[in-house]
Amino acid sequence: MAPAIHYYCPCQSGESVQTPPPPHMASSSASFHPLHCLFFCEECDAVRCNRCVSIEVSGYYCPNCLFEVPSASVRAEKNRCARNCFSCPICRSTLQVVASDPPDGGDGRPSVSLSNVGEPPFFLYCNHCRWDSAEVGITFEKPTGLAAQLQKFEDSAPESLEFERLKEHFEPFLRTSSLSSSLSHVPSTSSHHLPTSSATAAASAALARDVPGVGKYNPLARSRVGRDRTANKDEMPEYKSRMEIGVLGQLGSEGDGSDVEALRRMELAEEIASLEQRWGNSWTTSLRTSDLRPLRIPLHSKVSKRCPTCRHILIKPEQKAQSVRYKIKLVAANYLPAMTVALPHTQGADAARRPQAKAPSASDDRNAGAMMAGKSYPFHLALTNPLYDPIQVRLSVQRMHVTAVTDSTAPEKARRTPFAISLPTSSFPVAAFAEAWEYDDDDDMFGLEDDELGLEMGRTRDKDGKGKVKTVGVLEKRANVTVVGGEVVIGKEARGYVKFNMLVSYTYRSDDPLPSEDGAGTPSRTVAKTPEVKTFTFYTVVDLGPILPREEKVDPDI
Amino acid sequence: MPPIRDKFTIHSRAVVCQDVELKGDITIGPGTVVHPKATIFAIAGPIVIGSGCVIEEAAIIVNRRKEVMRVGDNNLFEIGCRVECPSVGNFNTISTRARIHYTVRISNYCVIGAACLVVPTDDETLDDYTSIFGPAAERRTWSGRGRIQEADLRLKHAEYLREMLPKFNRLRRGDGA
Repeated sequence: MAPAIHYYCPCQSGESVQTPPPPHMASSSASFHPLHCLFFCEECDAVRCNRCVSIEVSGYYCPNCLFEVPSASVRAEKNRCARNCFSCPICRSTLQVVASDPPDGGDGRPSVSLSNVGEPPFFLYCNHCRWDSAEVGITFEKPTGLAAQLQKFEDSAPESLEFERLKEHFEPFLRTSSLSSSLSHVPSTSSHHLPTSSATAAASAALARDVPGVGKYNPLARSRVGRDRTANKDEMPEYKSRMEIGVLGQLGSEGDGSDVEALRRMELAEEIASLEQRWGNSWTTSLRTSDLRPLRIPLHSKVSKRCPTCRHILIKPEQKAQSVRYKIKLVAANYLPAMTVALPHTQGADAARRPQAKAPSASDDRNAGAMMAGKSYPFHLALTNPLYDPIQVRLSVQRMHVTAVTDSTAPEKARRTPFAISLPTSSFPVAAFAEAWEYDDDDDMFGLEDDELGLEMGRTRDKDGKGKVKTVGVLEKRANVTVVGGEVVIGKEARGYVKFNMLVSYTYRSDDPLPSEDGAGTPSRTVAKTPEVKTFTFYTVVDLGPILPREEKVDPDI
Repeated sequence: MPPIRDKFTIHSRAVVCQDVELKGDITIGPGTVVHPKATIFAIAGPIVIGSGCVIEEAAIIVNRRKEVMRVGDNNLFEIGCRVECPSVGNFNTISTRARIHYTVRISNYCVIGAACLVVPTDDETLDDYTSIFGPAAERRTWSGRGRIQEADLRLKHAEYLREMLPKFNRLRRGDGA
């Protein structure tokens, strides 16, 4: 696994705890995200991730024809495209409406010139796998309005009719109980946050709605859970289903008899539909590939994301389905420095291994990519500054408590400190980001034609070859990228992965005047002497990779 | 290895651009269009290409076996494909970046999808109307519906190219040994 850096979002840790969880635990990976997934709220000065932002749908569109569907018809069309967009049941690509071939002259060559419109019957044709809908018997008389033509067919399916009957049966009870429960429940559920949009208000009312037969869930008064189970049940008569349960099985949608017969008779593995082909259906269909039907393409939605505390919009896409731009785009990559980490000894080993004719022994190959217990390795951190002002960065390693992770036979001291990290303690500057055209043709600025952020292999390798050059400290500064080196010393009995939390705080000059302290969120806002300097702090986790034990034998862990 | 003797027999109605790399004993039939930067290597044995084929840029047609490699009529070799089969039929489509080994023989009306690797270890013949698609090179049989329209499109494609390519590219004339 390549070394990586992830950023911490405090949404999972509760309101009072601001430090990230210990990274060696598997559950803490939920709090750490790569930089490209994160957002940044300017009002709260805080990092937000996809789990904590509140999402609102801003529009629905078909990914194939890019037609924007108004939200009213989304429900009516069952979240699928109402025009001629179908997906091939075999390869899930888009189907094309084609006309049938004209009658053949008999010798294979087209005898008459083919007209533009083509001849009926029309059918759907997949250009990728060459499936066509005539194989399942679906043909059309007109090349437009196919969804409507198929709609009648879909609606008469027995599962669909059954579903309609169920909805009609439950509807009067849902309506009466939702009226009563929404009046009593809205005050209690608004303790968390006020749903400001009608969509979220409707959603919370729908969740709080009473379902007959299920006890009411009241988060504030848990003692009442078992009490009121049968309150609404006595009003509802028995539901009679439209057909016998066993009949559905014979139609091929349930398992059992017919499926077993088909499996016994099948010859090729391709006769059974794969999971990817089947799970797009609304209900279970038969297992055979020959029974797969084309489905209308499901709609996609464009969402806008808001900060959960201050309701500031973080992401707002443009209204048109074709455009991929955003009206508002507050992503963390525009505010936080992007960091990458690399272990130079692995890259050096890779490059050195290629010119050798004979590869070294297998264990060396494996070990060259990872770290061995009992040794110390340097690593490089490259920081890229996205702001137009230079920043001063200070790094510090968070102290970790490794408590009772491994088995009890391991010695006590190994568990406590499996590895030690040394990083530059003083703050170092990273230059401002400037557009490419602002640089003169200065070779020092760009160095080698290397697109990677900040890792210049030639230069650092020369440095290491010269002997004990400094490995901890600022190694290189180039444009808006600074590479700092650190060192990790791995204990002799260490196991697992080298992961540590790192606190990054950087100071920058901001243009807007600082308001009075509001104290919300993670950052520590310090007002320095000059009123324009701001400091922001965030946590990251640095994962350098696995540790290989010194002995080759497998030790009886677990 | 004996040196490869070049012997190109290019029909007068074929359109072969100047930039094409030809090597070995190659015969190109009437109406075939070979785009610039295509490569046809008849290294060990001769290659015979039929009429109406379209060989696009960066396509590689290679014959590394002693026997004749016969490519039929009206095939389409899209950009970047690599074909080594000993025999190809008519009206096939070999899509972009597909690779076909010398163990495979292709019949008629086959479609090899984009970036598919058809590399069986044993000798194999693809039946008519086989369609290979997907990253795992799954196969299925085309019903053949729409083949007349596709054949018509192929003819029009070749005709258009024969008309337009010479206006913008230099042509190579057939020369003897």
